[in-house]
Amino acid sequence: MSHFQSPMPSREFLWDVFQRVDKDRSGYISTDELQIALSNGTWTPFNPETVRLMIGMFDKQSRGAVNFEDFGALWKYVTDWQNCFRSFDRDNSGNIDRNELKIALSSFGYRLSEHLIDLLVRKYDRSGKGVIYFDDFIQCCIVLYTLTSSFRQYDTDQDGVITIHYEQFLSMVFSLRI
Amino acid sequence: MSYQNLSYGGYPGGAGSGYPGGQQMSGYPGGQPGSGYPGGQPGVGYPGGQSTSGYPGGQSYGGGQPQQMGYGGGAPPGVSPEVQQWFAAVDRDRSGRICASELQAALVNGHGKNFSETACRLMIGMFDHDKSGTIDVQEFQMLYNYINQWLATFRSYDKDGSGNVEEHELSQALHQMGFRFSPQFVKFLIEKSDTQNHKYMSVDQFIVTCVQIQRFTEAFRTRDKEMKGIISISFEDFLGVALSCNI
Repeated sequence: MSHFQSPMPSREFLWDVFQRVDKDRSGYISTDELQIALSNGTWTPFNPETVRLMIGMFDKQSRGAVNFEDFGALWKYVTDWQNCFRSFDRDNSGNIDRNELKIALSSFGYRLSEHLIDLLVRKYDRSGKGVIYFDDFIQCCIVLYTLTSSFRQYDTDQDGVITIHYEQFLSMVFSLRI
Repeated sequence: MSYQNLSYGGYPGGAGSGYPGGQQMSGYPGGQPGSGYPGGQPGVGYPGGQSTSGYPGGQSYGGGQPQQMGYGGGAPPGVSPEVQQWFAAVDRDRSGRICASELQAALVNGHGKNFSETACRLMIGMFDHDKSGTIDVQEFQMLYNYINQWLATFRSYDKDGSGNVEEHELSQALHQMGFRFSPQFVKFLIEKSDTQNHKYMSVDQFIVTCVQIQRFTEAFRTRDKEMKGIISISFEDFLGVALSCNI
């Protein structure tokens, strides 16, 4: 995602955004508050799993919520994803179709078969229209990244094949929410 | 560690962690709904007694007689009148079909929280035969039985009636289902579900966990041709399994 880096906004700007998102004035942004604040470009609620994944990444205190200190990084993360998404949405449709997804993933360095691209589209197309919206795109990329990192850990000779025990396998594939 | 089950399961080598042994199907709650599963008592709320945290429909289900809600007279074949009533209460938009979010609004776990979105999507997906993302009343009858079986199982392992299973209770549950996991792996599962305190697993997480373990074990087993408890797997195959078995 390095090409999509945006500058960190000023503290004043972030504070203003933080206060608007922190509806209950708790000093923390919960998953519910973040979900309400984010838009996927449709009128449907932002993917709750994506919200949870993102809160989890920046929630340094393991409270299931993000304080102001960590909020800047989270805000920047969402903005970077937005830039990324827009750059692959070539036709500006507000969503990514199969071909755009393929281009996006190969630009991230993935070399995936047509079969796997189909699987990803099926899995992350929550609207049932054969396209992927912003929130689902983030989830797709985070999941792929997580799975790839755990695979890579075992693939010490980098031949694309790993040999693993049953429990190792389970721990690796249990990457998503329970 | 005991490997007595391995003779059934055909894992003579018994490397590291054992597979669920015993009879192929019945050791796997969550496989085929209703297959040889510890006795579910349909209609019993969880956890006993508290009407607010009962299943299903806790909050939304007011006084009205469901038969008056526009579903006509008798229940369709194979659907009990009780299930018909629940269906009417859960089907808020009266579409005649139930989607994951309607199910989620109706199901409450031992913490007084609604079931997770993941759990509801998983359960709808199991009975949604036409892949529409929704289920009709007949499919709901099956789902209803299925959930009740899970609730009964969960209660039987939740020995202290806390509404959660703790690490030792989960360990016992998995053991009785035929899985032989290391204490570290059980701990890992608890940490995944209770990300803040690393202590408990709620009933909806318990269902999701058991179903996931069962799916992944099947996927592993089909690749472990020599039944050694070890597989070699390529990157693409790995991604495919992880993505298609995860909810």
